[in-house]
Amino acid sequence: MQDKQYAILWKENFNNFISSLSKLHKLAAPVFKGYNNYAFENVRSGQEIALKYIPTILPPKKFFMPVHETLLEYDFSRGLKADAVTEYEEIILFGVHTCDIAGIQCLNMVFSEHPQDQNYLIHSQNIKIIGLECNEYCDEFANCHLMNTHLPDGGYDIFFTDLGDYFIVHINTQAGEDIIKDTGFFMSAQSSHLNELASYREKKQAIFKNELPVELDLIHDLFDRSFESRIWDDLDERCLACGNCTNVCPTCYCFDIRDEINLHLTAGKRYRVWDSCQLGPFAKVAGGKNFRTTRKVRQRHRYYRKFRYPMDRFSRYFCTGCGRCSRSCMAGIRLKETLKSLIGSKEGAKA
Amino acid sequence: MGKPKVAFFDFACCEGCQLQVANMGEILLDILDIVDVVEFREVMSEKWGGELDIAIIEGSITDEHSVERIKEIRKRSGILIAYGSCATIGGVNGMKNNFDLDEIREYVYGSDFHFFPTKKTMAVHQVVKVDYSVIGCPVYIPEFVEVLKAVLQDIPYSVPDYAVCVECKQNENVCMYDKGVGCLGPVTRAGCNSWCVNNGNICYGCRGIVSGPNEKGAHDILSKYNIPLDLIKNKINMYNKCREIDQNAQ
Amino acid sequence: MEKIILKDSAYSIKKGTILGIKQMTESEKLFEIALEGGKRLDHEPGQFVMVSVFGAGEIPISVSSSPANNDSFDLCVRAAGKVTNTLHKLKAGDMIGIRGPFGKGFPIGILKGNDLLIIACGLGLAPLRSLIRFVFDKRQDFGKIHILYGCRNSANMLFLDEIKEWRKRNDVYFESIVDQATPDWAGKVGLVTTLIPGIQIDPDRTFVALVGPPAVYKPAIKELLSRNVPERQILISLERHMKCGVGKCGHCQIQHLYCCQDGPVFNYEAIKHLKEAF
Repeated sequence: MQDKQYAILWKENFNNFISSLSKLHKLAAPVFKGYNNYAFENVRSGQEIALKYIPTILPPKKFFMPVHETLLEYDFSRGLKADAVTEYEEIILFGVHTCDIAGIQCLNMVFSEHPQDQNYLIHSQNIKIIGLECNEYCDEFANCHLMNTHLPDGGYDIFFTDLGDYFIVHINTQAGEDIIKDTGFFMSAQSSHLNELASYREKKQAIFKNELPVELDLIHDLFDRSFESRIWDDLDERCLACGNCTNVCPTCYCFDIRDEINLHLTAGKRYRVWDSCQLGPFAKVAGGKNFRTTRKVRQRHRYYRKFRYPMDRFSRYFCTGCGRCSRSCMAGIRLKETLKSLIGSKEGAKA
Repeated sequence: MGKPKVAFFDFACCEGCQLQVANMGEILLDILDIVDVVEFREVMSEKWGGELDIAIIEGSITDEHSVERIKEIRKRSGILIAYGSCATIGGVNGMKNNFDLDEIREYVYGSDFHFFPTKKTMAVHQVVKVDYSVIGCPVYIPEFVEVLKAVLQDIPYSVPDYAVCVECKQNENVCMYDKGVGCLGPVTRAGCNSWCVNNGNICYGCRGIVSGPNEKGAHDILSKYNIPLDLIKNKINMYNKCREIDQNAQ
Repeated sequence: MEKIILKDSAYSIKKGTILGIKQMTESEKLFEIALEGGKRLDHEPGQFVMVSVFGAGEIPISVSSSPANNDSFDLCVRAAGKVTNTLHKLKAGDMIGIRGPFGKGFPIGILKGNDLLIIACGLGLAPLRSLIRFVFDKRQDFGKIHILYGCRNSANMLFLDEIKEWRKRNDVYFESIVDQATPDWAGKVGLVTTLIPGIQIDPDRTFVALVGPPAVYKPAIKELLSRNVPERQILISLERHMKCGVGKCGHCQIQHLYCCQDGPVFNYEAIKHLKEAF
């Protein structure tokens, strides 16, 4: 029996598939950067791609919401002309892990919420996603089982699972089906393949275990009780306010808006650039009052933006368990340790 | 109104920051379209003794003669831009302040050192009022252009008050600490687009220290990565020794 | 990369022309703005607009005029930063950009039929002047009206000409106070909160509109609660650093709320539990 939702790509055809795909579309995939670091970069061949990789330095949000992005162009040399603009390109992302797909789903919700952000949505419409399943933990920083993001749950066009000699590929959208058809190299999946996928997923359950002694559904309650926790004081002592944790977070989307004028002072542009609630000036108003002066309250705000506030607005946590914030923190602030401390604190014990 | 008259002046420095202007390429032509450069020793022989709209000062102030000269330039300049790390934060010249002045003079000039009067190194703002600052060793030309536009628009320019890490991470560089190398990015003010790290170097802290740095946290990091504190202190002092003059003035 | 023009972007601006500028104090000016093509702003009192000064940037400014006036609107701006200082250098006839109005203003529908106690402190009179003018435009829709205005000293007082008119009206009780008395000041001296105990109000039917710097809220609310004004009838406007105005950029966030969309006007009951609000 064949299953139209699934296809097979034998490993010996992988490089051909990538070459063929990169001829049809601009293609980005994880690439090794040295020192156990990876980044999504443009690729033309399968050899460039790191199929086994830990989360990239920056998440794929950089394609959906570029670090710098022009929002408005204006010219007042003869009267005033001002146009809201966006620049976009069609691109396929290959090898996106389930945690990062979850991150994109979060951002989609934020920018689709009224008032919509056209710039983001246009990027999103032009990006196709080829997911890639993790067969094992990337490292000790991940908490994807706790966040329930270690298994595919939509948000992609096609999704690759490595089953040894071949990839089994789930086809989720019309665009995904087009990728399968246009490149060739795929075979129909037989029921034996699906059985292998099912037994792989069963084995996966033994590898991915809840990383912390807490139920996902109880975390927002824990945060309701923990606003005044002393755990935040500890973070104050350690945090350098370098902003690494928010830049690398797949669901952090705060930005600054700035103007840049030309040298003749006759025309310019307004652009947004990633910003971070961890930086001192972030919540300062014109009169000089700063609403989050300490590293403690800024770190607390970051955690609440992952585990408490989005529950009210989007009914979902904004942590994807990717572990990037912990991995990139020079001061050793570890998300799992912070959660563990909160669970073990006197506020946590009240549960 | 004619084009604003601009002059470059150098004090104790390597003139490398002015060289950045000479080397800036096409955009220099655009700049020359909107300002009138009347004195710039590195590229032209003309001198200008009159009033200036914009004085651009490279170098730090290290002796009495320089104090008088910068005061004289200040008097005839509408806007004064401190340009480069030596001018804005004292820069490498500040290392002199680690030593007794006579001792360091003898080391440099030998037994006749008395003929060479000197002073503790000062940044320009520690002597005269500075209207705009372009920090960096050398200056980062895109930032200089932004400062120049701010001057022409008569609006303030503020140097970002957050760490170089912010821009470095946005450029998706592999972190120097992952490479096991001590880097001053976490405590140095951004605005340079992590220029050095983008090109494989560490951050040397040439743009000065962010406000309210977490010193204890920084120490913890160094011990975690087995980087000696003295090494980093020396690196910080390399550019930031003159910071003490500001701290003592507070 | 392909560039396209967006017709319905949240970041599109409407063109505004400065019709007139009035110097109000040493650091505050009142700008009268008309939108291109006679477009109406259609704001509620308490809402704000994002004002573009091209080349300098964009800033949130609350609207100071009554929505009943459709041809133009007023912005009272203190020169405090890069953009506001640049705005202060513009002249009548110059163009600026406007986005908005944004956020939730004072709930006019709920206020109608009730008494109003309007408490302004410093620049807080700027957004409240929109409400005051609106209430005067529709005076018969409201009950008793008290206005209390406090500022640092008499030189900082805004809308002096109008205040003279307000004092003369017999359908409004107006009182002002300064923190620091100068020789020209013959009135009361102290914080605006000290005026609250002396006024005659029926707390059950009084809605309070309170706007001032962050430091004034706690003591003012304490006084109002001691006068038995119900928490949900105390309306305050919170100042935050708005950048996008559309609930995305994160700068104005107060815990789970975006001040730019969920506020800036909140009733006290809804935010009293928010530790970051005050």
